[in-house]
Amino acid sequence: MPLERPALGHGVGLRTQHFPSYLSDPPPVDWVEVISENFMSSGGRPRAVLEKVRGEVPVVLHGVSLSIGSVEPLSERYLADLARLVRWVEPALVSDHLCWGTHRGQYVHDLLPLPLTEESLDHLVARVGQVQDRLGRRLLLENPSSYLRYRDSTMSEWEFLAELCRRADCGLLLDVNNVFVSGKNLGFDPDEYLAGIPADRVGYLHLAGHTDRGRFLLDSHAAPVPEAVWALYRQVLGRLGPVPTLVEWDDHVPPLEAVVAESCRAADIEAEELDRARRLAS
Amino acid sequence: MTLAETQALFHAAITGGEVSPAALEACFAGTPALPAADRVGIYAEMWLWRQVEALGAEFPAVRACVGGERFPELCRDYLRAHPSEHHDIGRLGRRLAEFLRLHPAPERSDLGDLAELEWARSEVFCEAPASPVGREALAALGPEEFARARLRLVPALRLLSLAHRAQEPWRAAHRGEEPTPAAPGPAYLAVWRAGHDVLHAPLDAAEARALEAALAGAALSEVCASFAAADQPATVGFAALSSWLDEGWVAGVEVVEDPNRPAGAHGALAPIEV
Repeated sequence: MPLERPALGHGVGLRTQHFPSYLSDPPPVDWVEVISENFMSSGGRPRAVLEKVRGEVPVVLHGVSLSIGSVEPLSERYLADLARLVRWVEPALVSDHLCWGTHRGQYVHDLLPLPLTEESLDHLVARVGQVQDRLGRRLLLENPSSYLRYRDSTMSEWEFLAELCRRADCGLLLDVNNVFVSGKNLGFDPDEYLAGIPADRVGYLHLAGHTDRGRFLLDSHAAPVPEAVWALYRQVLGRLGPVPTLVEWDDHVPPLEAVVAESCRAADIEAEELDRARRLAS
Repeated sequence: MTLAETQALFHAAITGGEVSPAALEACFAGTPALPAADRVGIYAEMWLWRQVEALGAEFPAVRACVGGERFPELCRDYLRAHPSEHHDIGRLGRRLAEFLRLHPAPERSDLGDLAELEWARSEVFCEAPASPVGREALAALGPEEFARARLRLVPALRLLSLAHRAQEPWRAAHRGEEPTPAAPGPAYLAVWRAGHDVLHAPLDAAEARALEAALAGAALSEVCASFAAADQPATVGFAALSSWLDEGWVAGVEVVEDPNRPAGAHGALAPIEV
């Protein structure tokens, strides 16, 4: 079943450093994305900020600790907390990452890649089904930024994602920066990646900055969106049409105005690309 | 390799376990410019960095005392002793105070207490909200009811009993000053939230005993007995209780029914409407 893509527009990630701004002077953004885990058990200022924001703009819940690919059972505590948060926030979308991050009950708090094999696929299809049944809604999974490839992998990441979306009936959060970073680090062509993903499964996009560490690109979210990623974003829009887009900034976080300016640039680029497509069509 | 085997290998490799270069090469594909071990090393670096950042955000004063260069090393030792067991990275520091008391930094035996203060502030920041009651809640009680009444304190309140005056290096660190070691205690601190701000303040021993009794659910007669040694116990006790109400620490006053009286329609605990 094709994914219904909500017309959210252009948003930014809600970050602790910007809480005072959201309380006193809400930014001109169409929607915000919040890190689910930061609000699962909070009752103080984080909760108050989210309570206010959800009354003003749509909210998307984005998790980092579901650990959908881990071989150990999904955490019942986590699923209960997430389900409770979903009921309260009533988010436009719910997403997490195509990764694993737990081992023997321990959280590594990182997004570790999976071998792209039939075994991983079978495992993920079952687990995504479990989460979607629990939440009563579709889950979107984000393509990871990767620094290594497993020797056992038997398919490309875009082939893996397409098959996962088809078999698990889940959605895709396409992180454009991650496509660029992984392409450089693993040596694949981003064009081939974009051509291979299931366009009708993409619910929204992420944009972010990365850091050139010489031998590899680090998905640092510590800088403005680079020009090369903006260029890739134009390509994505050319293939998908208008897609809700979010700018992430998690390290060396600047004033909120700077993040909002990046989001406005995404809106401007989308308008340009749609206008160009209309002119070409006519 | 199975999925389970690759995850066990990967986890060991990034968290400091013993994994041979040959095992890494067998599992992960590298390139001449960036061999497999170096690629796994990126994840190992990120594993530590992300958690050091999280701990530094929760314990800025401890980090200032330890120093920026030593702090990652302290975090690595702590994480090996107490790896994260919760999906919220904000819960990572739950046992740092305990760890620092068992493994004190050189010449800084006060850091366990400082970590306990910072952790309490962090917990209180996120605690569930509650609507506090004012002085009128006590004024509504008759003399007999007062002795039997119990205070229902707000969730965003902690009482710390420390061996050092941890508030001193905390204050210095937050002013950007040199956080010299805390003076020996004992020191009793109340930590609470006012609006969205977290506050802490020292208590004397009598008030700390009284607050401890109130937190344990003791009747007001027992709470007030903590001030018995004061020159004017009633005056001192009343002043303390009033300040708790003024600071928003009290969410309700409940009167325990006299067991010698027939049970009322409201059961054992009858809330006072205020």
